[in-house]
Amino acid sequence: MKHRSMTRRLIFSLTATLILFWLLATTAGIFVMQDEFGEIFDGSLQATTERLTPLVVDDLLQNAQLPESRRLQNLNESTHKGYLTYQVRDATGKVILHSHDVSATPFVAPLKRGFFQDDISRFYTVSAANNTIFVQVADSMAHRTEAAVEGGLALLLPVLVLIPASIIGIWLIVRRSIEPVNDLRQAISDKDSGNLAAIELQTLPRELQPIMLSVNRLLERLRSALTAEREFTANSAHELRTPLAGALAQTQMLKSELRAPTSNSRVTQIESSLQKLIKLVEKLMQLARAEARIGTSNETADLGNVLELVIEDFRRASEAGNKILYARAEAATLHRPVSEDAFAIVLRNLIENALIHGDPNTPVRIDLTRHGTIHIVNDGPVLNSNELKSIRQRFSRGKTTSPGSGLGLPIATELASQMGATLELKSPATNATAGFEAILRFS
Amino acid sequence: MRVLLVEDDQTLGEAVRDHVASTHHAVDWMQTIDDATGSARVVEYGLILLDLRLPDGSGIDFLKALRSKSDATPVIILTAHDQISDRIEGLNAGADDYLVKPFNLDELTARMLAVTRRHSGSSSSVISIGKLRINIADRSIYSGKQEIILSGREWAVLDKLLSRTGAIISKSQIEEALYAFGWEVESNTVEVYISRLRKKLGREHVSTIRGVGYKLEGRV
Repeated sequence: MKHRSMTRRLIFSLTATLILFWLLATTAGIFVMQDEFGEIFDGSLQATTERLTPLVVDDLLQNAQLPESRRLQNLNESTHKGYLTYQVRDATGKVILHSHDVSATPFVAPLKRGFFQDDISRFYTVSAANNTIFVQVADSMAHRTEAAVEGGLALLLPVLVLIPASIIGIWLIVRRSIEPVNDLRQAISDKDSGNLAAIELQTLPRELQPIMLSVNRLLERLRSALTAEREFTANSAHELRTPLAGALAQTQMLKSELRAPTSNSRVTQIESSLQKLIKLVEKLMQLARAEARIGTSNETADLGNVLELVIEDFRRASEAGNKILYARAEAATLHRPVSEDAFAIVLRNLIENALIHGDPNTPVRIDLTRHGTIHIVNDGPVLNSNELKSIRQRFSRGKTTSPGSGLGLPIATELASQMGATLELKSPATNATAGFEAILRFS
Repeated sequence: MRVLLVEDDQTLGEAVRDHVASTHHAVDWMQTIDDATGSARVVEYGLILLDLRLPDGSGIDFLKALRSKSDATPVIILTAHDQISDRIEGLNAGADDYLVKPFNLDELTARMLAVTRRHSGSSSSVISIGKLRINIADRSIYSGKQEIILSGREWAVLDKLLSRTGAIISKSQIEEALYAFGWEVESNTVEVYISRLRKKLGREHVSTIRGVGYKLEGRV
């Protein structure tokens, strides 16, 4: 599922809403302006007509015998195109006087005082001399439309320029406002089983504080649960091991005291079963620990030192341990914030695996490279890719007949993954035609 | 050698005590830190086998207290805590070795031998004194090709002398080693066993420093 970006959504919504409101405001402004313009133009048209009328009437009375309509010339020849034109008509509608830029064809406006409008002009008519003379002044509608359009553009153009500026402004504001959310998100995503410390963000805004508090409460509960689980597995291990140790020690003492071969043989079988039980319990305890996610840690551990301790344990614990050839590259170090117990469990399983399943007559090689990679190599038959895959499964023991629980590699794989390491299994081993190699590589 | 076993589990404690005793060592078995502290105060032990989780406290605290008093008695931790961090903590607290339960009794013997050998500065379990070849691991002594058989008490006295070869061991220290086995110790017991050792090992190997004690001579 594709998750939507909150930032993008906020920027888009805010910008769209802002533009919509601006456009609505501009449109309303244009309508109001048009209306106001109409009133101004009408007022101007009416005033012009009423001031023109006495002059025209006076002029007509002095030149009462004019046979035809007269066209008044401008004082100066001008290219100026007037917006206002007028006609003076008698009661029959005949044009007896008109402005220079209209023909003698009578206006369509009726001879009636007041406003009249058609598609081309708006007229105002005033009557004089007992309704025998009518003065009609026309105002071009094109002029009015042009004024309205220019006025509207004057409102709209700044808005169009401001839209991209406001998008940038909104983007900056949203980004800045959402920064605490990003900080909180980062702080939460940094949490894993090794880092469950409470989130401490002093600068978090009031709205996000409850989220931080809730997350911290959850972390606290998780921490307690994990600690309890880890303590339980550690205590269980302790409680199981002590009676097993008692049983094994008493069995071995009994074996040393018995003289009859039959009885001795039976005690040997009991001892052998006990040893198997002890190994199985050990593996189940390790598995429980792996499932309690003990892999990570807040503290950095010297894993090179742990590797050497584990190898020393193997060498002292059994004859087989003396088969281990350990080489540490010059200046090789391995310091990582992982649990040294988990790391030791991984190593024990890998080394035990190599000692049990490898050729008993050839050494097991353990190398710590300069880059902190650990190679554990044993001789033995080649495993195909399916077998390499299946030995990572629990209780899968491949085709070996050697004793083993079938849990060692799954435990090692799980813990390696928790430690942020990769466990590569190869067969044949690198630069060899046979054998098995486990490579533990830290990122 | 006198061994202090600190273990609260009855079954395991009994088995370990009997096993260690069967390898000719005297064992004092204590089940609490309090008892172990009291014993360590009055007895000079050759080795301490220490459990970590005890009813009245942690074995680590006991070990730290021991080391803080400059007591260098070798200590092997016997614990059910198998984690490497526990082991590092134990070694840092001054333990000489660390054995995770359950363990084989033979492995315990091997570790005890290795630790005491390391502690006495010897790198081998076989000590040669003149013609004598004393194998501490399998408790055998050969003079040339002839095997010399020692009784438990004679081994106890020899162990004490071997613990500081070339140095003088007082009569009371040898008496203490014999007491540890629960044996009756009369006024001339030490002289009797020293005399027997001289007869079996050769007069030249055990010398008497009048009024002070005895010492094992001629280590090669």
